[in-house]
Amino acid sequence: MNYSALFLQLLPEAVLVLAALVMLGAAVATGKKPGRVFSSGVGVSIATFGILLAAAAMFFVPQDGATSTSLLENDPLARIFKAVVLGLGLLAVWLPPVRREIGNLGEYYALVLFALTGLLLAVGSNHLLFLFVALELASLSLYLLAGFPRTPRAAEASLKYFLFGGVSAAFMLFGISLLYGVSHSATLSGIAQVLEASQPSVLAMTGLAMLLVGLGFKLAAVPFHYWAPDVYQGAPATTVAIVSAASKAVGLVVLVRILQIGFPNVAGSAAWGEMTAGWSLWLAVLAAVSMIFGNLLALAQTSVRRLLAYSAVANTGYLLVALSANGPKAAASALFYVVVYGLATLGALAVTAAVERDRGDDRVSSFAGLIHRSPFQAVCLLVFLTSLAGIPPLAGFFGKFALFSNAMGESAAGGNPGLVWLVGLGVILSAVSLYYYLSVLKQAFVTSAPDELSEAHGLGPSHVLCVLLPAALLVILGLFPSLLLAPITRALMESLR
Amino acid sequence: MTPAWTLISAFAGALLVLLLPARAAGSARIIALVASIVGMAAAALSCLARLNTPDATPWSYDKPWVENLGIRFHLAADGISLTLLLLTGVVAVAGVLFSWNVEKRPRAFFAWFLTIIGGVYGVFLSRDAFLLFVCYEIVILPKYLLIAIWGSTNKEYGAMKLTMYSIAASALILIGLVAAYAAAGATSFDLLHLASTTYPPAMQAWAFPVLFLGFAILAGMWPFHTWAPTGHVAAPTAASMLLAGVVMKLGAFGALCVAMPLFPQGFELWRPLIAGLAVVGIVYGALTALTQRDLKFVIGYSSVSHMGFVLLGLAAANHWGLRGAVLQMISHGIIAGLLFGIAGRVVYERTHTRDLAELQKFDLWKSLPGAAIAFTLATAASMGLPGFSGFVAEISVIIGLWQSYPWLTIAVAFGIIITGAFSLRALHRAFFPARTANAAAAPPLPPLTWPEISAIGLLLAVSLAIGIYPKPWVVLIDDGLRSPLFQSILPLP
Repeated sequence: MNYSALFLQLLPEAVLVLAALVMLGAAVATGKKPGRVFSSGVGVSIATFGILLAAAAMFFVPQDGATSTSLLENDPLARIFKAVVLGLGLLAVWLPPVRREIGNLGEYYALVLFALTGLLLAVGSNHLLFLFVALELASLSLYLLAGFPRTPRAAEASLKYFLFGGVSAAFMLFGISLLYGVSHSATLSGIAQVLEASQPSVLAMTGLAMLLVGLGFKLAAVPFHYWAPDVYQGAPATTVAIVSAASKAVGLVVLVRILQIGFPNVAGSAAWGEMTAGWSLWLAVLAAVSMIFGNLLALAQTSVRRLLAYSAVANTGYLLVALSANGPKAAASALFYVVVYGLATLGALAVTAAVERDRGDDRVSSFAGLIHRSPFQAVCLLVFLTSLAGIPPLAGFFGKFALFSNAMGESAAGGNPGLVWLVGLGVILSAVSLYYYLSVLKQAFVTSAPDELSEAHGLGPSHVLCVLLPAALLVILGLFPSLLLAPITRALMESLR
Repeated sequence: MTPAWTLISAFAGALLVLLLPARAAGSARIIALVASIVGMAAAALSCLARLNTPDATPWSYDKPWVENLGIRFHLAADGISLTLLLLTGVVAVAGVLFSWNVEKRPRAFFAWFLTIIGGVYGVFLSRDAFLLFVCYEIVILPKYLLIAIWGSTNKEYGAMKLTMYSIAASALILIGLVAAYAAAGATSFDLLHLASTTYPPAMQAWAFPVLFLGFAILAGMWPFHTWAPTGHVAAPTAASMLLAGVVMKLGAFGALCVAMPLFPQGFELWRPLIAGLAVVGIVYGALTALTQRDLKFVIGYSSVSHMGFVLLGLAAANHWGLRGAVLQMISHGIIAGLLFGIAGRVVYERTHTRDLAELQKFDLWKSLPGAAIAFTLATAASMGLPGFSGFVAEISVIIGLWQSYPWLTIAVAFGIIITGAFSLRALHRAFFPARTANAAAAPPLPPLTWPEISAIGLLLAVSLAIGIYPKPWVVLIDDGLRSPLFQSILPLP
């Protein structure tokens, strides 16, 4: 493997870094001179151009398996999710950037590109240390991105995010060092070989548990979720979109890779009546508490952003249900669901951003009469929230259905109860979730608006795309889920072989 | 015309109505009428075709949908599906006619209305458990919006209660279906495949009540019926007609064609309890209806009572019982639609009250004779008088019950007597008040409009047709009962 081949493999990431540097250069060039301001239009254009170029660069990455190194995996799974990260990142960039004045837009968008670079690297990483560095690149950028508007709330969000993130990163690193000490390898396949050859030691299991703490933080699983509501409420919309959509998808891919490739034989079981210790059981417990706390706390929220944060926690629970079934089909449907979830949350954030601009806040009651003010936004909001609630014919319904039935199908063979306790809990709590999504929709569709505000301001073209594209994709993927589910399943099978 | 046109016409109509420009909003009702008439015609023609060629293979359409889970887009129409499609078509046409005067956001109203109709058609046609569940769930959100936006009397409470009951019911159904899917090898959601698998008795013992309860909640089984009266009362007329007329039938259909065939041993185990709850529902619904002051509440509780006959027929688990259950589904669909149409649209829109005592002042027999005659006939049908569909249905159920649980027929007899009592009480108070010499003259009311008359005529005609000549309906239902789905419940004759 020579350096030119390595560079070619990292072409998308390189393009993103280059775009970030151009952004910084442009900001420096325009920022000093009075009268010339680095506008958000310039920032969005450069970022859009950079992301599209990075997506185009993916076609130049050699696709044969020989290009995978001990550090970087270039399998179909990585390629699919790099495309997903770039797509969700692009939509996030198109969201209106500022709730309140952001001082330096050039830096803001440059950090967005750095965060996306880190996420792209993490998707393909095969080596725990490399993974750690990639995730830290993304996380450090996101800590800063959360605190960008100079408001107390954003500062609180950023600080909480940073403190919890820092501690979980320390856990993760400690876990990695334990695993390295046990197996003398930090690649996933190396660890798997060692664990297969000998009885798994307490040290190795401790290492894995600490690794899961770190990833649980990324996914906002209970009890590592405390940062989520504040970040969702205080941070700019673009930041929240990256945290909730792209970063969550990457966290899940990484988790699937680590568990299915590195630790397939210490899964244990979470099936009813035959529970044995192992990551499957741990994830089942995390899933259960995440679903319970996420859904019940979401019921009490009056701010839509906080509601979306608790819904993120609950959705992490559903994803973990599928992973704890320890089967490739369930994992594939979790990967499908995380994409669908990201689209729906991103769209809901886009509508929330529009309402915030019109009404000044994101309280549920501020959505009153949205159908009269802007039928387009209201109908799209209906698509997003009903998709999150799991109502057909939208993709969120199919995602949950596939996730729960595959989790049952792979855990319960021949009439064993399997994961029925966890799946049953998930299905029932998912029914509860309809209540809080419906409370927002009730405001938008049923309650009439206060009189002083009749017309909504028009949305910018990129903002319209941010609302329209996810809604269209949710409908299409709901009617033809195989379009995405089949490639993901195939890619995952290939990676696990 | 294949039965698929029912589905296509409803969903295409809904889409078309949504795409209408704002200035043409008034023509939404015309599109909705055309779409529902096409659906009704397709259902009627399919029924006729099936009657003419009883030995042909039933129509079906089967395409792979999601290979990863073994989901197929599988529609098929046996006799039971066909009769229920026809019921849906008739109620849909009548519902549009009774909503002819909706002025508030008519495009959205008819779009949601047609979406419900499409979802109901879909459930009756599905032969894949996933597809059936999808169609079942599609109905939930439009129901909420129809009630919450266009309803009356405590509408947001009624809408939310109904929605929460429905979604809880779907959660139970999903758990049951997914458990069956996993235990049957996780390869296919085809109903016949799932039904031909024999599940371990321990699993059937818990999975059957979960699945059955999910469906029975929507069928209004006591004590999970409380969504029905509040929901029916809060809903706008067309939505009450749909709720009582066809949506409750979804639950009964699911119990008959999904829950019972999938877990026959579980059904055998829980059958006595279901029969007991059904009888309690019949008597309780009738007794509660006897004490109501709101005309719509009377009809709402009478629905609970009448749906008890459907569940009772299912619990009888013999040929007469199942046939009677399906007949009662159709009969109650028509009669409940008629009663809600008259009470909610014809009377309430003119008098602005449904209170039985208030209605006395209007002397409806004088001021609105057409409505009074129609309501009298509908009440007769609802009481199960010979000549109307209710008689045919209830007598079949009772014969079936006599074969399975003879002692329960005594309790049912009480229920029938109380049904007569509450029906006559409501009819008497609302339409035939005692006239006193010094009472103020009743205010004049606008006469019946053509859409109202045609809707009433359509529903009455169907009820009379079933009551006087039930043979084609019975032939179709028996045809459906010969399906391999019911092999484990009914021994082949």
